[in-house]
Order: sequence, then structure tokens, then C-alpha cells
Amino acid sequence: MITGKGITKTFRQRGGMLGARDVPALRGVDFSIEKGGAVSFIGESGCGKTTLGRILAGLESYDSGEIVIDGVPMSSLRPKQRQPHFRRVQLIHQDPYSALNPARTIHQTLDAPLSLRAKQTGRPRSWMDERAEELLGLVGLDPGYVLPRYPHQLSGGMRQRVVIARALTVDPDMLVADEATSMIDVSLRLGILALLKDLRDRLGVSVLFITHDVATARYIGLDGELYVIYRGQVVERGPVETIISDPVHPYTQSLLSAIPVLHGLEAPGAERVVPTEAIDAGRPDTGCLFAARCPFRTDRCESERPVLGHDGGTAQEHACFHPQRRSVVATPAVRL
Amino acid sequence: MSVTDKRAPGVRISDLSVVYRTQAGELPAVRGVDLELVPGTITGVVGESGSGKSTLALSLLNAVQPPGRISSGSVEIDGLGDVVSLTGDNLRKARGRHVGYVFQAAQNSLNPLKTVGKQLLDLGRSHDVDDLPGLVKEARSLLDRMGMDGARVLDSHQHELSGGMRQRVGIMLALVLNAHIVVLDEPTTALDMITQATILRIIREVHEERGLTTLVITHDLGVVAEIADRLAVMYGGRLVEQGPTREVLGAPKHPYTRGLLQAIPRLVGDIDEARALPGRPPTLGTIPPDGCVFRERCAVRMDVCETGEPPVLTIGPRIVACHAEAGEREPESEPAEEPEKETVTTGPVRGEEQA
Repeated sequence: MITGKGITKTFRQRGGMLGARDVPALRGVDFSIEKGGAVSFIGESGCGKTTLGRILAGLESYDSGEIVIDGVPMSSLRPKQRQPHFRRVQLIHQDPYSALNPARTIHQTLDAPLSLRAKQTGRPRSWMDERAEELLGLVGLDPGYVLPRYPHQLSGGMRQRVVIARALTVDPDMLVADEATSMIDVSLRLGILALLKDLRDRLGVSVLFITHDVATARYIGLDGELYVIYRGQVVERGPVETIISDPVHPYTQSLLSAIPVLHGLEAPGAERVVPTEAIDAGRPDTGCLFAARCPFRTDRCESERPVLGHDGGTAQEHACFHPQRRSVVATPAVRL
Repeated sequence: MSVTDKRAPGVRISDLSVVYRTQAGELPAVRGVDLELVPGTITGVVGESGSGKSTLALSLLNAVQPPGRISSGSVEIDGLGDVVSLTGDNLRKARGRHVGYVFQAAQNSLNPLKTVGKQLLDLGRSHDVDDLPGLVKEARSLLDRMGMDGARVLDSHQHELSGGMRQRVGIMLALVLNAHIVVLDEPTTALDMITQATILRIIREVHEERGLTTLVITHDLGVVAEIADRLAVMYGGRLVEQGPTREVLGAPKHPYTRGLLQAIPRLVGDIDEARALPGRPPTLGTIPPDGCVFRERCAVRMDVCETGEPPVLTIGPRIVACHAEAGEREPESEPAEEPEKETVTTGPVRGEEQA
């Protein structure tokens, strides 16, 4: 189990004449992911979701807060000692085309981490080939076909599966999938999602799914949790199905309303919130971060910052002074 | 909708084929495509990577680059004639003046060293516009119309604009020479959901206000569902189905359209009902030369699909090219089908992996 408490990260932008500017990427984010669990971070680009994923994979530092991996607080360890813990979190990013070395066959690609693994565990070299074949089988690829090939000879979906197989070579506890399906052809996207769900079920790997597409988050497991992040703050959090069917935060409602409706097949939600576009991030951060874009804001929202919490009336946590359920999601009109 | 708007020209693409020269000979990226863009409507072409949709769009400008070439067919544009036979200066004039094009990743197609305004003037000069101040005025009002501060945007460099703003600059550059046919190639890829919704709304509104004939190329059925009047589905260089958007989405006739709809992650409904299409889309080299291009992934494949060209059926406003659909024609019943799941759950179960 991995938990984070009050994770804060600020990027310093070296500006021009006006000097440096601080850009808060994460503002005290709490989260927890069970072994074998599924958590999705949803939000627009720049909301901090990718930064959080990178922090978890040990690729980025954080300013304050605490990450606890299986009961071990990372702050109690020296950077060198943290490494093996962070290695148990593997990052799968958006672009499978750039994630693989084009000059290496898939066999060579898998060999490198496997030989390290063999050394660590004292296994013979013959184990490596067995393991490579096993892992490729696990991600739904034919080892005989894939192993001798170079990345350019595979489709995007196959490449992403190879990337996942490579991540599995180190027996990770958690996969961080950062927009892992957005560059995959539509007809194959669901296959990658099903694979992630399948790995949870079969290996007990937990999955942290980072995306701007809420719909895909359901497919890594209905038991999953959804975190809606806006400008570095978690503004709504709860079980996937609850957030989708009964969102109470206007930002969540805007995100859900913005998903295209398949007219003819679906009817739009009755209370769709007309989304306002992102505005200049340079304005002062007093009050609710979403206030400037929120159609339901009041004076209080301009001056006071709401914090994430329950208010008794809702199943999920939210950071809003005026939470209200709205049905914004399209409903099926026809069955295929 | 301004279907009767006199200014909106129509486009008739007939039997269009585009081939690319490769080591294996000339391979067809687009084959025998018939498509009409009705004046004043938005047509959406949907296809996966390698389906030939971008090549089709480039053909509208006769801008297919070597090693590709249009090998047969015609693209008739009202008031311009057959674009395929245009050459030299006439062709260059037609691009921009008659047909505006918003390129894939328009966000990245701006010159990083010049302000948007300078690029606008370059565009004006290369098209021999006499009234450059008028062009700037028009550009500014277009940008204002799309919800931006036009004057500020014209003074900005590309890096000062967000993805959604760059996309709008792309649309402005396509429209500013008063083109009435607009081609948008993947207009919302790499944009956030909310920005995408805004851009789609703007495309729809500008389309209606200016009386355009619009072609939208995308891999995302959702985009087409939101804005297109007609939908055309491409696969392996062929148009496999087309018709009014709502009718096609509500009752798809081609097995590929049906499979694609089932493969889209949705917000509601049974997640076990959604499934990926088995196999993968063909590439230029793997498109089968004979028979149906979709047969390898098709749940209702028959023997005749291996060799016979699928018959093109016209059913009211809809067109579908499929053997199975042809067989089913009289009583309109859906063929029973249960497409296989992608082979993700076939590996051995190894419980001890996670110590």
C-alpha cells in the first residue's frame, strides 16, 4: 500500500524581466492506493496529475509532505535507500513510440532489466528467456513474433504492451499509467485498459491511472477511486461510479459535460454544465481556485478556499462551498 | 443550418484512388472513394491510423506529396472544377482562397520565430492580397469571434498561446482568405476535454455564420457525433459506411462501425459489454489487395469476403459496402454476432509472480 500526505510541489519558472515566478503544481495532495487497487487522477493538462505520477515513480522530488510505501516513510530514508522502494513503482507513459529504443529488438529491450533482475535474485541466464516469453504472454503478445522484432515493426497497441511487459520485469507493486491509451488506435484502446485491469486481478499490481478522459477510468475497474485534480488541488474524490453518476463539484461536472455525446446513440445529460475554458493561471490565488471559471460562484468563493472533506450530504469528498448533484452525463438511448 | 446558402460550394469526390510508391510497388492508401460534401454541411470522416483519411483530405487540395500520387478519380469543386487537373499557379491560388486547411497538430504548425500577425501578412502577400490592412481587420474580427483578444493574439508568438488558442489561430488562417470550403484534420487532438468542447462549438458556429462546407477528419467518433451532419467511416483506404450521423451512430450497418462503437470507453452502461476489436488496423503494406479490407477482424465474415469486392449498397441516405449487409438486405435484422475479445486473458495465470 502506498499513501501520500500533504504532497506539495512548486516549480520555479525562471521568468524574464520580472524575475522568477512560482508555479504551484501540487498543493497538499493526500491519497492512498491499496495493494491491487486502482486509483485514477483526472484533470486538464497542467493540473499536476503527471507531476504526482512522476513523484511516485521517484522521478521527481517534492517540497513537503510524506510518502509511505508499505509502512516505510520515505522521509526516514536517505535518497539512495529510497531507490529500491520507488523502483517498485513503474511508469508507463503516453507515447509508446518514444519509450522504446528503436535500435534494439524487443528481445534486447527486455534483456537489460531482466539480467539485472537475474543478478539480484541469483537466477541463471536461462531464466531470462523464459521470463521474457512469460511476460509477453501475460500482456497478450506472441513471444515468437515479437521478440526478434524492432519497435517500428509493431503497432502502437503492441508497443504499449511491450512497454508494460518491460515494466513488469522488475516485479513492480504499482504501475503508473500516464495517458497510456491516448496515442493508441480507438479500436485497440480498450484492449490496453482490459490488460491493466487483468494485471490487477492476476498479479495484484495496483494501477494509478492518469488521464483527462474520465470514461477510460472506469475500465481499469469499477472498484476504483477517482481523484479530480484542479490546479494542484484535489477538488473531488470518491468511488468511480459515484463521481460519474453524482458529481457535486462544478469542475467535475464541467469535465463530464465536455465529453462528446454520441447523438443518435445517447441523450445528453439534463443538467449539462456549459464548460468555461481555462483562464490565465497568472491571477492571484485567493479563494476557490476554480471560482473564476465556475458558473455557480458566490462572494464567499472569491475570498475563501474550500478544503476537501465530507459534508454528510454526499458519498464523496469535495472541496466546494456549494456542492450540488447534477446529472450531466449522457444516457444511452439505444442498445447496440 | 445554412444548407441553402448560395456561397457554400459543394464537393464531389468520385472514384478517387491515391497510391504511394514503395519498394513493394505502388500501394493504394485511398481506393475508389466516392464522397459528396453537400453545400453548407459538416461531413466527418472517421478512421484509425493508416485508414487513408488524411490522404483523402489532402486530395481536396491536390496536395498529396510524393511518393504519393492521385492515380485516378476526380475532385469536383463548385466554381473551381476538377482540382486533380489543376496545376501551378491556379492550384496555389485555389488553396487558401477556395479551400482552407487546418492541419493536424495546427498547434505546432506556426512559425515559432514570427508573430501570428507577421505570418498573416506573409499569407496575404503570397496570395496577392492588395488590402493588407483589411486582411488584418478580418483576422482580428475572426479571432475576437472565437473568444480571444484578436489584437493581442496577432502580436503574440506561438509559445505565448495555449493549445486551444493556437488551434483557433489555425482556423483563422484557414478562413481569413474567405475560403468557403474548410478541411480540419484532427482539430482537437492533444487538447483537453473542456477545450475540445469549446473548439467544437466554435467550429459549428463559425461554419453556420459564414455558410461553409466543412470536412472534419478525425479518429474520434465523439468529435464527429458532436458536430457532423454526415459521417463517413474509412478503413484500409476504403469508405465502408456513410450516412446521416445520428442514423449511423444509432444503427450502424457495417461491422467495423459497429465494432468501433462498441470499443469506445463510455461513461455509463455495462463495462463488460464494451470490447476492443480483435486484430489491428492494416498498414499500407498489409491491406489485402482483393476482397473486403475488414474481413480479418470481422465477426460476420463469409467465404465471399476473401475474394469478392463488397457490394456498395445505397439505402435511402445511407451507403454501406458489405457482403453480410447485402445478404441481410430484405428483412432488416442485425446479424447475430459475438466478436472475440482481444487476447489479453490468454496468458498463464502465475499467482506467485508477486511475492
